[in-house]
Amino acid sequence: MRELVTMWRDTRMIMLVAVVAAVYAALLIPFAGLVLVPGITAVRPGNVIPVIFGLMFGPAAAWGSAIGNLINDIFAGTFGPGSLFGFIGNFFFGMLGYKLWGNLGPLSSGVEPDFRENAGRQLVEFVAVAVAASAACAAIIAWGLEVLGLFPFSVLGTLIFLNNTLATVVLGPPLLYLTYPRIKRMGLLYTDLLHDEDLPDTGTGQAQTAALGLLTIAIAWVVVGIAISMGVQDVPFAADQGATFGEGGATVQIALGAIAFLIFLGLTSISGERLSELID
Amino acid sequence: MSSSPSLYVDRDTFLHRLNARSKMGLLLGVFVAAYAFGDPLWVFVPLAASFVALVAVGGWPNFKRLSFIVVALFLVGFAVWPAFTDPGGDVLLSTPLGSITEREVLFALGRSQRIAAFIVGGLLFVTTTSNEEIVAGMRSIGIPYAFCFAVGTALRLFPTFLGSANTVRQAQAARGHEVGGRNPITLLRSYVPLLIPVFMTAIRNVQTQAMALEARGFDTRGERSFYNRQPFGTADWLVVVLGLAVAAASVWLRLQGYGTV
Repeated sequence: MRELVTMWRDTRMIMLVAVVAAVYAALLIPFAGLVLVPGITAVRPGNVIPVIFGLMFGPAAAWGSAIGNLINDIFAGTFGPGSLFGFIGNFFFGMLGYKLWGNLGPLSSGVEPDFRENAGRQLVEFVAVAVAASAACAAIIAWGLEVLGLFPFSVLGTLIFLNNTLATVVLGPPLLYLTYPRIKRMGLLYTDLLHDEDLPDTGTGQAQTAALGLLTIAIAWVVVGIAISMGVQDVPFAADQGATFGEGGATVQIALGAIAFLIFLGLTSISGERLSELID
Repeated sequence: MSSSPSLYVDRDTFLHRLNARSKMGLLLGVFVAAYAFGDPLWVFVPLAASFVALVAVGGWPNFKRLSFIVVALFLVGFAVWPAFTDPGGDVLLSTPLGSITEREVLFALGRSQRIAAFIVGGLLFVTTTSNEEIVAGMRSIGIPYAFCFAVGTALRLFPTFLGSANTVRQAQAARGHEVGGRNPITLLRSYVPLLIPVFMTAIRNVQTQAMALEARGFDTRGERSFYNRQPFGTADWLVVVLGLAVAAASVWLRLQGYGTV
């Protein structure tokens, strides 16, 4: 986890944060395609950025995605308390890519994400990473807006998860195929920019446990959160939000989210990265 | 898309002259007041106050530009929330699909007004605070300089990339590339030829910009000085006290049982 702090010492990583943020914000507005819910969300090709840039620029993409989403809020007029959760959600959206790649045990392809060799296995790994990152982002934002009492978890959780996953899974592989080798030749991969001592010194077993834990918790959080919100199978707290936390959302939803988020932070703090070992 | 995507309106009003930190304090008061209450009558107070202030500082064009988003979020919230709360009070509408009670309507209206209050409050802030003031405000509340620098640089680069994204889109369209289709997957795939040039144009300059910064002695760890440092005067302190007082009073009233549905 220390790379998320030590990267701020490197000028090129700082510039990458700014560039990722600016590109992310710039692509969210003009390339908003098919509108799903007016004013709330559309099929946005820009959503592919956090995961693919996360795989190339590591921690810079995590910070860049978070800042890019904040800038989008400022320029799109949706800046407010929800922007804090948008910031955190997009931070994890950008961070999980490099944390999970190579650390997913049987799901991992064992090669760098250039879609040149073992393309089929890379696709499987990429989909797993995309789903986990999208689920984490969706769960954090949906939970945050539930805490603020703005939208029920099931509304935004479902929309953000599907929207992020669709854009990332469809656009990610071709974009990585076309851009990864060029950026590698430029020497701008995070593994080229960060010093060895800046990268997390984590054993393979611990890194895999953390990565699989992050994958599981992200998916479980979004699925259980939506189920509770929708009242699936008569979960007692279900759709009825009679028991609310202050004027926020359902107490159980908020408690579940708080526990999941703490586990998420714990797993992140013990997580590692394996891309530096996979790159030739 | 206009050439300037910024929502900042350059005027010389009382709110414009305030320090970004004091505006954040005032905003905190508006947000807490909108959050504390559920009764639409009570939530209407911070919403109306923010809206009046927004119009007074010249933010009406911004509101018109974003009114579609505000209205859409309001309506979606209003349509969704009745399904997530207990019925109560008189039945206002009865259909074969179900009925809507007074409590459900009030609850949904309160939540929708809260959404609108948050958006209008945020819009008031960005209408009266320039990008430079936002970054300086972040630095002055103790956020590390490197982070503030990245935000400031991103805010400056963003319009450039926005322009280049639009240029690439038009250039590809001129070559016969069609973006579209109702199928989301087909639609998304059609964006690939647009995204590559935008990515590579942006990334190509990173090395050069980093070298230029280092050649000028860029160091994120040293103490920084700012050319345009805003003073934090008496008016700022009064506004911060007002914001905190509004927040504290809202919480106190809520704990006394006021403003609930």
